[in-house]
Amino acid sequence: MNAPFFKFDFFSADFSLVIAFAIGIGFGFALERGGFGNARILASQFYFTDMRVLKVMFSAIVTAMLGVFFFVAFGWLDLSLVYYTDTNLIPQVVGGLILGVGFVVGGYCPGTSCVSAATGRIDGVIYLLGVMAGIFVFGEIFPLIEGFYYSSNMGRVFLPDYLGLSYGMIVFLVVLMAVGAFAAAEWGEKKMAAKSGGVK
Amino acid sequence: MKMIELLQKIDLKIKLAIIAIFLGITAFIISNPFDNSIAKINVKNLAVMVQTEVDHVNVDEIADWIIKDKSDYRLIDLRTEKEFNDYNIPTSENIPITNLLDGELARNEKIVLYSEGGIHSAQAWFLLKAKEYKSVYILRGGLEEWKDRILFPKLISNATPEDKAKFEIASAISRYFGGQPQIVTGSEITLSVANPNPTPKIQAPTGSSIGGAQKKKKREGC
Repeated sequence: MNAPFFKFDFFSADFSLVIAFAIGIGFGFALERGGFGNARILASQFYFTDMRVLKVMFSAIVTAMLGVFFFVAFGWLDLSLVYYTDTNLIPQVVGGLILGVGFVVGGYCPGTSCVSAATGRIDGVIYLLGVMAGIFVFGEIFPLIEGFYYSSNMGRVFLPDYLGLSYGMIVFLVVLMAVGAFAAAEWGEKKMAAKSGGVK
Repeated sequence: MKMIELLQKIDLKIKLAIIAIFLGITAFIISNPFDNSIAKINVKNLAVMVQTEVDHVNVDEIADWIIKDKSDYRLIDLRTEKEFNDYNIPTSENIPITNLLDGELARNEKIVLYSEGGIHSAQAWFLLKAKEYKSVYILRGGLEEWKDRILFPKLISNATPEDKAKFEIASAISRYFGGQPQIVTGSEITLSVANPNPTPKIQAPTGSSIGGAQKKKKREGC
């Protein structure tokens, strides 16, 4: 659990599972409503015909980022209580590539595969079995790759510290980036639609 | 009226984009939401804690915890690195007082502080309490008392049987930590107080070896 409330003993470990369940259901519901339970919609992201994934992800990032920033500024949230993982640059890049390849091949990322499996899609269930198999293989070979797994450790790095900019500056730049990406996505979708004769 | 019509004409996503940009600019002006050097404290609350001494841990308790290999707390040595390397209480970690708030300690951990006497640990306790660390304790009497009562317990030669029984236990504990129990005869009491034993080379496990292992145990994420 990453929530500061849990660390502060506002509720027990048992109850944290209830909260995790509620948040998980909410997350899954939002993904399903966004159309993320459908592999065709997800995959079309990679052919630039439907930029829904990019839009939803960027909306979520910008909303969460602005929320966290202002909550901290108002003193409602103590960011030092939130858990962050270390940055292990090379292993994480490799991991990202593996996940990306799996995403293109299978049409889901781990979270959306759960959503599609939950709504009864067979490809989602198969994908989920694949995820389980991958976890099992990773666990079994972990002693062999442990050295690599922990290599190039940079500690807890934050963009503002790394780039020498203020937190507000980063927030502003990410918002600009998101709005720019939205505009570009809309424009790209129109282009692709025109190319395929308006048939989606 | 015109204004409302104009607003209605604008697409929802455009409105949201405008709000996001506005908040982004505000964030840019605020620039840094943190201020780590200023803290708010509940003075009354702290005063009550000082009065009731709920924040103290005795050297006997710590000795007991170490022997029982308890790991639900972190023992922090606030002295300098050199002093720490000369001698430290087993399982302790060295965090000099200036580095105390650098994020090494988490707010939900049970933290026991000790210094040479008790003044530095009391001051450090205040700093941590002001930063809302939940359970911070001071080792009563600090390292001096640890040496006095745990490493070198003393028995007066004409002690009562009960005192002797207690001394037996204290001696066992002392030997566990590599100390030396002492028996003091009447004439030498003043001498031993005025001229306390120099700390011998102590063979007890040092903090660096045990502390390291313990660190790993407690360092896991959520």
